Amino acid sequence: MALAQQVQLQRDPGARSDVVRRVTGSPALQLVGRRLLTAIPVLLGVTFLTFVVMNLIPGNPARLILGINATPGQIAQVDAKLGLNHPFWDRYWLWLDGLLHGNLGIAYSNQQSVNTDLAQHLPVTCWLLLYTLVVSLGLGVIVAVLAARKPNGIADRLSLAVSMLGLSIAPYVLALVLIYIFAVKVQWFPAISNSLGSSPLQAIRALTLPAASIGFPLFAVYSRLLRADIVEQMQREDYIVTAKAKGVAPWRVLILHATRNSMFTLITLVALNLGTLIGAVAIIEPIFSLPGIGAELINAIQINDLPLVEGIVVVFALVTVAGNLLADLLYAVLDPRIRYGRSAS
Amino acid sequence: MKFRLLSKRTACLAGAAALVLTAAAACSSNSSSSPGSTSSTSSTASPSQSSITATGAAVAGGSITVLEGKGFAGDWPLGLDPATNTTGSADQDYYNAVLGDLFELGPGGKQIDDLATGYTFSNGNKTITINLRPGVEFSDGTPLTASVVAWNWTRDLESSCTCAPEWTIARVNPKVTTSAPAAGVIKVLGTDTIQVNLAAPDGAFINQMYDTIPNWIISEAAFNKMGEKAFAQMPVGAGPFIMVSDSYSNQIVVKKNPDYWDKPLPYLDGITFKSVSGDEAAYEAMLAGEGQVYIDMSTPQLLTESAQHFNVLNQLGTSPYDLQLNTAVAPFNNPKAREAIYAMTNFAPILQHIFDNEYPVAEGFTGPGGICYEQYVPGYQGYNPTLAKQLVAASGLDKTTIQFGTISSSPVAAETVQALSQEWAAFGVKTSQHVYPLNGLIQAFLANGGKSWQAMIQTAGAYDPSSGVGVGFRFNSMSPFSGVHDPKLDSILASAVASSDLSTRCADYNEAAKYIADNYYGPFYFSFAPANVAVKGVAGPGLTSPLPAVAVAPAVLWEDVYDNASS
Repeated sequence: MALAQQVQLQRDPGARSDVVRRVTGSPALQLVGRRLLTAIPVLLGVTFLTFVVMNLIPGNPARLILGINATPGQIAQVDAKLGLNHPFWDRYWLWLDGLLHGNLGIAYSNQQSVNTDLAQHLPVTCWLLLYTLVVSLGLGVIVAVLAARKPNGIADRLSLAVSMLGLSIAPYVLALVLIYIFAVKVQWFPAISNSLGSSPLQAIRALTLPAASIGFPLFAVYSRLLRADIVEQMQREDYIVTAKAKGVAPWRVLILHATRNSMFTLITLVALNLGTLIGAVAIIEPIFSLPGIGAELINAIQINDLPLVEGIVVVFALVTVAGNLLADLLYAVLDPRIRYGRSAS
Repeated sequence: MKFRLLSKRTACLAGAAALVLTAAAACSSNSSSSPGSTSSTSSTASPSQSSITATGAAVAGGSITVLEGKGFAGDWPLGLDPATNTTGSADQDYYNAVLGDLFELGPGGKQIDDLATGYTFSNGNKTITINLRPGVEFSDGTPLTASVVAWNWTRDLESSCTCAPEWTIARVNPKVTTSAPAAGVIKVLGTDTIQVNLAAPDGAFINQMYDTIPNWIISEAAFNKMGEKAFAQMPVGAGPFIMVSDSYSNQIVVKKNPDYWDKPLPYLDGITFKSVSGDEAAYEAMLAGEGQVYIDMSTPQLLTESAQHFNVLNQLGTSPYDLQLNTAVAPFNNPKAREAIYAMTNFAPILQHIFDNEYPVAEGFTGPGGICYEQYVPGYQGYNPTLAKQLVAASGLDKTTIQFGTISSSPVAAETVQALSQEWAAFGVKTSQHVYPLNGLIQAFLANGGKSWQAMIQTAGAYDPSSGVGVGFRFNSMSPFSGVHDPKLDSILASAVASSDLSTRCADYNEAAKYIADNYYGPFYFSFAPANVAVKGVAGPGLTSPLPAVAVAPAVLWEDVYDNASS
């Protein structure tokens, strides 16, 4: 805020309340507020369900830590240390209390703070997700525009063939194929990466094949749906006819008008696909030995490590909620009617 | 820079080879023996070691990457403190590299002295006196003495871990299994001599040490300085390598220990152990040049593929696969249901079509790579479809769904579960299949006081049936991983351990195998050991020359592994 404006605000209480009113009355902020409020029960529901399911799995974590020969006294000690001697609701409340204070608890398996565990493994998964999204979206949009420019043309048919391949192959199968071609045969990328290395280039090398394994099917979905939407816009919408009649260049019509409007479909799809994307990460990370939280989640579930599972689930839930919130905000950016609180309809 | 060298041990072994199998005497270190007692000899030549020196192929230097499969050796979520690591023996590679062993199991079952130099049995096999190698230091510079070993063993015996030694000893509180050993159980007789006094005779005491925690000695000073948690991540021992970094269940980097007692070993400058998701990922990584060794490959198709590119060492099995039946709960508390399982299993076609007849059929718990091997058991109930139909109907086995589990890290076990389920389905017997990682499998055995599981495909056997994942581990009443609670079988197995005379012990084991078969406690299928795969040029005992398996897989002698591929 400019200095003059700040001075004016200090002098004039009326002006300050006007700014406050404008800020609080902003449709975008109201949207964020509403979404954040609705996220709270979602997060609570996700964590509670996970807590219930993990508690139903047989096996005592204290015995997991101590071993079979542990005496009842030793087990009671560890139970007390981990808070396992409390009733179910108390344990859940304790965990929630810890969460609100930024403490996700201690992992049963390695007795390490879950926060520390996540700090070690989360960056790998974040980079992988980001890389996957950027590349699959970037390529998806480019290919969709090229294909929509001339429906049933060479680019369209070629993109259809590639997309069909992407839609029909499971990420874990694709991962093995990519490893065979790009790691074993031409040796451009590593087959396994137990760390991201020490330089950005090493990280890109380590993440390329995993990102391609997850991203190729996504790219196929994005490009086909976006292409279909653009074609529909180009063939049916009046504003396209108007733009063409005004002599706007065909490429400008395609990209600035049709593609921009079609972005709604793409954004919705990306937001809805976040859950799938996270699921794919849990499968793909172990194949490439990537030390991310997807692989960590699989390990934690297998050994009934409740705090670690809960911690990872919270992160995934937050990413999904944040992704959907971002999608809502992007709608507002693309369509001023939403920004100013008016329905698009 | 690489250079050719001969270690004291290798030179000794070469000499032994030249003297045509008189190695044991030639290289013997300071074992002592007393009248009426059994004593050890010492280091013996392995074929590979002999060939190393004979061909002059071994070179020092270089680093290799060793791949370990998730679900077994590739997981160490609790760290590498031997006394607290519940998946202990599965992590033998790291322990052997960093901590070394008191005794190593060499080719053909020969004992190799490592940090200990010999032992004697006395007092009717109740007393075992072990001589330690003088002058050995841990990598933190503190000496490895008898008092440090006593501290280690006391800590091991007080551990609540599944990995704790099962020594029959007097304890301060006899009712508590984790109570401290009573006075006089572990005696320090001098700087380099330690004695264990058992409550019952155990002629297999030394064999039982291989790949178990009493064999892995840690630095007491380093443990006290670092604290339990930090030590578990970066253990300090007197092995051929030193820890450089450890990312749990992901990657371990070790480097050559410059003060290793058997200089100039180890050959390698360093090893990176990487965890991979399984056989397929490891195979691809090796093809891509990202790994030089893969431990424990067991996917039949990949073994054939791998043999075209790498050295594949199919080890002689010591641990036959068996179907564990939980006799504590229905339906297998009914002998007819157990007999039905024997009668409806036709393993010959499974062995032929799935495993390409790679492994010999087994009817007992001994394997061709171990002692007391007997392939067949007299009176063993084999495949009999007519009898099977009668027994299935009589036992009501067709009216229940068998909870049928195994370990995820073994494709062989998983394929066996599927194949058996299909065979039994022909008799109207339904199964629900469960595949667990090692920790999950342990939990499945322990859940509900051991009464939640019904049937498991597992290995039951070891180089010495009394050791490791041996017959007692699967069939003794006291074992948490046993479905059998039969005092008579316990006494036969106890008798087999008591003697140090091999023929007496083998007679007892034959009786135990027959008793298991007669009571239908669990059919055996085939003798198996996973293969180790190494790129050409990387060699050593356990990689290019066979070693007996103790805990399912053989323990590679990392100090003797070398890489001349790039020299």
